[in-house]
Amino acid sequence: MSYLQRRDFIQRALMATAGSAAFSFLPAKLALAQSTLTGGTLLRGSGANDYKALVCIYLYGGNDCFNMVVPRDASGYADYRALRVGNGVAGDASNLAIPQANLLPLNPSVAPIGGGQFGLHPVMTGLKEMFDAGKAAIVANVGTLVRPVTKAMYQNNPGILLPAQLFSHSDQSVQWQTPRADATDRTGWGGRLADIFRADNTNQTLSMNVSLDGDNVFQSGINVAPYFMNTYGVEEIGAINTPDANCGPTNDYRRRRCLSFNALQNLATSAAPGHAFERAYVVKTRRSIETAAQVSVAIDAHPASADKFAPFWTANGLVQGPNNVDALPRIAQQLLMIARVIASRGVLAMKRQLFFAATGGFDTHDNQNADHPDLLKDLSQSVKAFYQVLDVIDPTLANNVTAFTASDFGRTLSNNGDGTDHGWGGHHLVFGGAVNGNRIYGKMPSLKPTATNPDDIDGGRLIPTLSTDQYAHTLAKWYGLQEVDRLTMFPNLNFMNDPILSVPGSDLGFMQPS
Amino acid sequence: MSFLTKSFLKLSALTAIFALNCAPAWAEIPIDQIFKASMDEPVEGPYTPQEASRFLQQATFGAKLSEIENLGRIGYNAWFDAQFAATRTEHTPYLDGLINAAIAAGQEVRVFQGERTEGWFRNALFANNDQLRQRMAFALSQIFVISDQNGAIEGNPTAIAHYYDKLSENAFGNYRTLLGDVTLHPTMGRYLSMHMNRKPDAALNIRPDENYAREIMQLFSIGLVQLNVDGTTVLAGTPPMPVPTYSQETIRGFAHVFTGWNYSTCRPPESATSFQWYWDYCDTKSPSVIGEQDYRLHAGWREPMKPWGEGSAFGERFHSALLGPLPNAAKQLLVYPGAVPANGVLPSGGTSRSNLNVALDNVANHPNVAPFISRLLIQRFVTSNPSAAYISRVATVFNTAPRGNLRNVVKAILMDTEARRPTALHPGKVREPLLRLTQLYRAFDANSRDSNNNFITSGIGRIFEYPNYWMAQAPVSAPTVFNFYLPNYKLPGETTTLNLFSPEFQITTDTFITRIHNEFEGRVFWQFRGNTNLPPITDWNPMLLDLTRDTAVSANAANLVARLDLLMMGGKMSAGMKSILVSHVNSMPVATENDRRSRVQDALWLVMNSPEYVVEK
Repeated sequence: MSYLQRRDFIQRALMATAGSAAFSFLPAKLALAQSTLTGGTLLRGSGANDYKALVCIYLYGGNDCFNMVVPRDASGYADYRALRVGNGVAGDASNLAIPQANLLPLNPSVAPIGGGQFGLHPVMTGLKEMFDAGKAAIVANVGTLVRPVTKAMYQNNPGILLPAQLFSHSDQSVQWQTPRADATDRTGWGGRLADIFRADNTNQTLSMNVSLDGDNVFQSGINVAPYFMNTYGVEEIGAINTPDANCGPTNDYRRRRCLSFNALQNLATSAAPGHAFERAYVVKTRRSIETAAQVSVAIDAHPASADKFAPFWTANGLVQGPNNVDALPRIAQQLLMIARVIASRGVLAMKRQLFFAATGGFDTHDNQNADHPDLLKDLSQSVKAFYQVLDVIDPTLANNVTAFTASDFGRTLSNNGDGTDHGWGGHHLVFGGAVNGNRIYGKMPSLKPTATNPDDIDGGRLIPTLSTDQYAHTLAKWYGLQEVDRLTMFPNLNFMNDPILSVPGSDLGFMQPS
Repeated sequence: MSFLTKSFLKLSALTAIFALNCAPAWAEIPIDQIFKASMDEPVEGPYTPQEASRFLQQATFGAKLSEIENLGRIGYNAWFDAQFAATRTEHTPYLDGLINAAIAAGQEVRVFQGERTEGWFRNALFANNDQLRQRMAFALSQIFVISDQNGAIEGNPTAIAHYYDKLSENAFGNYRTLLGDVTLHPTMGRYLSMHMNRKPDAALNIRPDENYAREIMQLFSIGLVQLNVDGTTVLAGTPPMPVPTYSQETIRGFAHVFTGWNYSTCRPPESATSFQWYWDYCDTKSPSVIGEQDYRLHAGWREPMKPWGEGSAFGERFHSALLGPLPNAAKQLLVYPGAVPANGVLPSGGTSRSNLNVALDNVANHPNVAPFISRLLIQRFVTSNPSAAYISRVATVFNTAPRGNLRNVVKAILMDTEARRPTALHPGKVREPLLRLTQLYRAFDANSRDSNNNFITSGIGRIFEYPNYWMAQAPVSAPTVFNFYLPNYKLPGETTTLNLFSPEFQITTDTFITRIHNEFEGRVFWQFRGNTNLPPITDWNPMLLDLTRDTAVSANAANLVARLDLLMMGGKMSAGMKSILVSHVNSMPVATENDRRSRVQDALWLVMNSPEYVVEK
């Protein structure tokens, strides 16, 4: 366990003993850590109307980004085709190569490092539109790194610091979300941001972090736990009516249970001397109920059938016919609900929020041609619809809501016959009005075979040339993370100034100054 | 107190039970069996069924009426003796059975962490002979943490089950033996990266991994600061300050000691420079054999790790025998009065094994161990906030020869006056969610829907529970080595003002509170034997409660509530709560069997989600 977790642990221990007599005698250094922590909860907001959200779109399984962004210049495409073409028969399962003519051409405003021309998978028309409009960018060959690594270092030095369990779904997905490759605990950078920024929210009942895909590391902080919603809304206690004072209008069994439920809670809080844990449990339970009721009422005011959500219906080819939430791709259902929560931000009194959406199926070892295009289409068109909806809700929202992808790893450049296997580095997407869009950041990797590919360690697994720390920090900085907290949250950034990386430093430049 | 008085108390209690008519099973016991040969036994109690039940909630995975009766008959001492003598229930053989059956049938082996969890539930729910040992193993699994949330071991359910079985094997044994078994178990080796930890190599800029060195001290033995025997912090100097138990130099020392270990089945290095990382090389026979044996059955995951190449020409190649951070290549271990080696300095030399043993003795004999481990165990069994005197009493038992005897420790914890007759203003703890579930299942004799013991067939007869999803807790599945919650967690608010620790509140979050209410709704109102509205068994074979016993008493609301008080709350239900529940039940119809069952269900759900129940006192 590293210094950082150690410090967190000590901080937590300090928090836990803050009331004890021993606390005031703690060594000055630790007391300083404590004051840094409390200092971090100062208000960071910059005005009454200011709202900021990050939306993590997690692609479980490891996205084959090498079929998402493809070279379209002659030599780059030839390399790509050689790796991916299989038996070369159009439509054959072994032929993973997208025909050159079908690629959606990108014309970035600044030539990518190392040159070359690139295109998108033909199903990603939404992404293409956003990219062209400067509202989306590609970040090339990002991955987990403890220290920058070259192929020579990787091959010749068995002691080099590498992320633990490379190519393993569970470990790499955790490392992407922490985002430190040598972290062993399960707090994520979104959770740590919320530990700091939750103080900006007037509403201190609802968690700053809302997950549409259950538990995740990204949103788990030291003090913040994500609140789970589902694509239908919130979970509420089903056995009883919502326990307001009257327990609902209808005198049925759920109302009677609710009245007794309330009576038992009131008993615990009114008993003298009573038990502090029982009172605390009542406070927590009421808070849980209140949160659910609050969110439920708020989003009910913005039903999916409202006109503003029209971009999810038909316009982007996501579903036939309006208002059929269940027929939408999973990622679209989640983004639609996130849009409903964002639309409710005023009522909910939230100025800072972090959302987590996720969709699976990207582990395309087999049948990649059948499965992967739909996944890319769902991603591209859903995000496009999401931003169209935000524009309808409030034209300034797109500038304040940034979405980004994360995934376990990139996949192998090489072809296993009808799919691709677990890789390491991969390309990622950032979306929103605050993105310096229409650009590719970092260096698009060579797609030559292993022997002649400077980044390919074996079988088409690419050493990342940008680290997850850099990627996450660029977003966190836009979100408002201050220099003083930078290395606490991203300690390995210190090592990411190395020219081994395609863009050294802590800011990759894809976000506009906040 | 005279024997006569005690007999009187016991007689009064039983009379009360008969009068209430709320425990017909108890009432059916012939009077001479309850009182045995002598009216004066058992002198140590329990004196009432409520006391027996309350004890069983602390010491087992939940009280059953039959177990309450048994304990009432034999008394605490005989109960402990029986538990200590009982044959140990393991969980690896169950998984091995599933694997071997699948192999024999030529089927794909589908044994993953879900099956391991199922094995855990089977032991917790159905193994009545060694409940205390199983409960102790569960407590130890929250101190000596490994977890299936870790990628290095998540793929191997049998290895994790085997680790758990090691905990249960040592549950009544010696602390030092336990520490050794934990340290060398391959799952711990992988989880905290002592496995394949190697000596320093300046040329390659490699230093030994400090992960296990740190956690064994911080979490498994002594903690961060020096403690008095009563668990209070030693303060020294001017102004008085806590005294750290170890420094970075100590961590470096232990990190150097914990080098050179690999799976027991790995072949020795073939040359002075060979570097065989791979599992393929780690078989007792040849590299190819592993390919033919299911990895979940592999010996390398079950035998203690071994110094890589021990006894061979290139044995000890990876151990820091001659390299240490101190002058003369020595290694700093813990320093305390009477510490061995002298001044905690381990001289250069030795072997992986000899140095490891010296280092583990050095840790295990530290004076912090008794109060530190005693407090953690008390928190798992009895209360989040034991008094200093309570910790001191248990720690003293820990320190009494044979030192570190966990059997004596667990009995001291459970029989302490603070466990049996708490007088603190805020005693007890928030019930662990997993224990709420096992308690429910045990109290209502739950079994899988088909009630068959043929647990091999496709999903039928299996207990499928995914408790992580709804209660943020599952066996051997903590998010980090810091367990599900920290022993020193304090919930902000009144509890912090009162300076109370409340670990379990750390996982009592908005989402999980609601989910727990809803999942108990499903189990109480839906998953009961005789429910004719369940989908086909081939689609769903859940655990079902048996509500018939209490349906039979529910026409009388007071009797039903007394029953629930006995079974779920050990007689700690307040008069106010009883009154609310009795009124509730009396407001419900009573004419039909369904009506009477609904009364049980409503009352049970209200109890299971009530503040008085959630806080076990």
